[in-house]
Amino acid sequence: MSNSVISVISRFLEEYTTKTSNKLKVVDAYLFYILLTGALQFLYCLLVGTFPFNSFLAGFISCVGAFILGVCLRIQINPDNKGDFLTISQERAFADFLLAHTVLHLVVINFIG
Amino acid sequence: MAQPRVFCLVLLTVALGAQALTPSHHLSLSDVDRLKGLLSQPFTDLASAYYSIVGLSKLGASVADENDACQFLKAQLDPMSVDSLFFAAEASQAIADCEVSIFNETRDILLAAVSEDSTVTQIFRAVSALSSLGLPLASQEVVAALVARIAKEDNVLAITTALQTATRLSQQAELGGILEEIEDLAARLDDLGGVYLQFEEGLEATALFVTAAYTLSDHADTEPPLKEDQVIQLVNSVFSKKSWDSRSEAFSVACAAAALSSNRFHVPVIVSTQGPATVSHSQPILHLLVTDILSNPLASANLLVESAQAVASKSVVLSQAPFSLRNGIFELNFMASQPASGYYQFTVAVTGDSRLVANQVELKVKVSTEVAVTNMDLSVVDKDQSIGTKTSRVDYPFKAKGSFTADSHQNFAMNFQLVDANTGVELTPHQTFVRFHNQKTGQEVVFVAEPDSKNLYKFELDTAERKSEFDSMSGTYVLHLIVGDATLENPILWNVADVVLKFLDEEAPAAIQSKTLYMPKPDIQHLFREPEKKPPTVVSNTFTALVLSPFLLLLILWFKLGANISNFSLSPSSVLFHVGHACMLGLMYVYWTHLNMFQTLKYLAIIGSLTFLAGNRMLAQKAVKRYEVICVTG
Repeated sequence: MSNSVISVISRFLEEYTTKTSNKLKVVDAYLFYILLTGALQFLYCLLVGTFPFNSFLAGFISCVGAFILGVCLRIQINPDNKGDFLTISQERAFADFLLAHTVLHLVVINFIG
Repeated sequence: MAQPRVFCLVLLTVALGAQALTPSHHLSLSDVDRLKGLLSQPFTDLASAYYSIVGLSKLGASVADENDACQFLKAQLDPMSVDSLFFAAEASQAIADCEVSIFNETRDILLAAVSEDSTVTQIFRAVSALSSLGLPLASQEVVAALVARIAKEDNVLAITTALQTATRLSQQAELGGILEEIEDLAARLDDLGGVYLQFEEGLEATALFVTAAYTLSDHADTEPPLKEDQVIQLVNSVFSKKSWDSRSEAFSVACAAAALSSNRFHVPVIVSTQGPATVSHSQPILHLLVTDILSNPLASANLLVESAQAVASKSVVLSQAPFSLRNGIFELNFMASQPASGYYQFTVAVTGDSRLVANQVELKVKVSTEVAVTNMDLSVVDKDQSIGTKTSRVDYPFKAKGSFTADSHQNFAMNFQLVDANTGVELTPHQTFVRFHNQKTGQEVVFVAEPDSKNLYKFELDTAERKSEFDSMSGTYVLHLIVGDATLENPILWNVADVVLKFLDEEAPAAIQSKTLYMPKPDIQHLFREPEKKPPTVVSNTFTALVLSPFLLLLILWFKLGANISNFSLSPSSVLFHVGHACMLGLMYVYWTHLNMFQTLKYLAIIGSLTFLAGNRMLAQKAVKRYEVICVTG
């Protein structure tokens, strides 16, 4: 059982490193960073407590929102998905990403207290 | 002073409930004296002299020194002024043997004032002066001038003055038009709660109207078009004020009082009692006073009780019984009809003069009596077997010889009867209380004794049941019987006996609760909301560093992937875009620290639009470059 899991994982990693373009890997690195940040915030909340609860929520939702927007960007600039996004060019996807982030930041800063 | 006022209140409450309105205010003798006092104050000019002299004469009094007053009038007179002539002439008429000298020009001056061009007041003063000085005047001309002026000056005071002027004219003149003004003016009165009728111009205007209306009606021998209720309401308005602001106000009230007490058509009558309206066996006679509004007794009045009805049982005790007049006071021996004690509603009627207004009055009369306690039996009864153990009779006002003991197996019982001392009829007064007082602890427990169907009072104390009221304190209690009622002249507080009560499971209460009830309570300290426990700074700082560390990881990863900014074109739009974007992020930080949402949105709009335009251009350039590359590479 564990054997097949390990082989699946190693196969996945191999395909990932070879097949994905650099651009996407850059975005993936960014997503990984966001994920770590969110996880660490959540860990702090579990360990120490929810004292400034609004601050915790702001931070955590900021991570979650940024992750989602990053995922959207990755989907939209992936050349393999071009068929699904005919009207949206890469630049347009990036511009949408920036605009959505502005709104997210506004809300997060408002809530952080 | 309190008595007429209390009576006025009673009369007011009765009058409001009655069908016919009766006056709630009038001038008592002390009010009349006060009015005379105000008018007798020394005068400094002709106008105040006029008000004082004529006002006092209306009340049947006169100034202190008549000669002095006459000299004053003569000295102050200005024969060229119509007002001056009016005041002097009218005032001198009121003083006996006082004549003001007239010049030849006087008549001309006065007649010149009677025209359509003078005000109504001028016309009135000129006409009054002419008639007081005995000079001839043409009544018809005056009427014409008045009618013309009324059309021009349509206010209350002007029309009232016109009415007054008409009283000085000859009876042959055509006063019909002016008489009609009384009714029109009466329609302008304001009805306040059905009790008062007055002009919004105030008391003086109302009083002058009353005077003018009745004087003119007498002069023209026509009944004034005022209904009985209106007359009473006018009386209430004019005589409700008992201290007057100015001499002219006092003068107007005096004139109104004189007009209402001696005109030929309507004379309001006041029926009042001397003191509270109470009769009893010791004072069996009901005294009533019948006066006019100046508190002068009416010469030819007869008082009759139309009906006297008991309030409680609604039975008529007396009907059509006349009062007898003695020394100006009407008397009736009510106790002769042997009424039971209680309240009686009297309807009395004043007859003898067809001019009397409000001559049916309702009064509430109280018949009081004395109570006697009879057949007082005290006993201690065993609960399980109602054998009346000891029954002792106690006579009022003595105390029972021995004390009575009751413990938890026994009841203490009391039976008695309350009767009218004079007639022997059984009574049920409002208050029949049985009071136990513990001398040592100061406890006081009060119970109510209730009558049964035969009007026998019974009281039973169940020691076990009532122990909570006594706080289970055993001991000797002094027993009092308290009897009281509004119609009893001798309320009873009788120390009947001593009762020893024995309670089971006696708890000794620490202190009597009532004492601590009125002491200040312990202070409550306000506890402010405790701030939440914060984790130590070390922990927070550690985690801050931890949370920021993935950024380093990101930079390392990007470096390893080979992400770079070598393709960065230094075109103005891309520079502007990046600067704008950096500003937006900076704005977020400033928003967190300093600004509010509205300011932020304002700045964001500015920076954002710039960044958007620059970014749009930059991305378009990039897109074009990318397509070029794709096209080139095929």
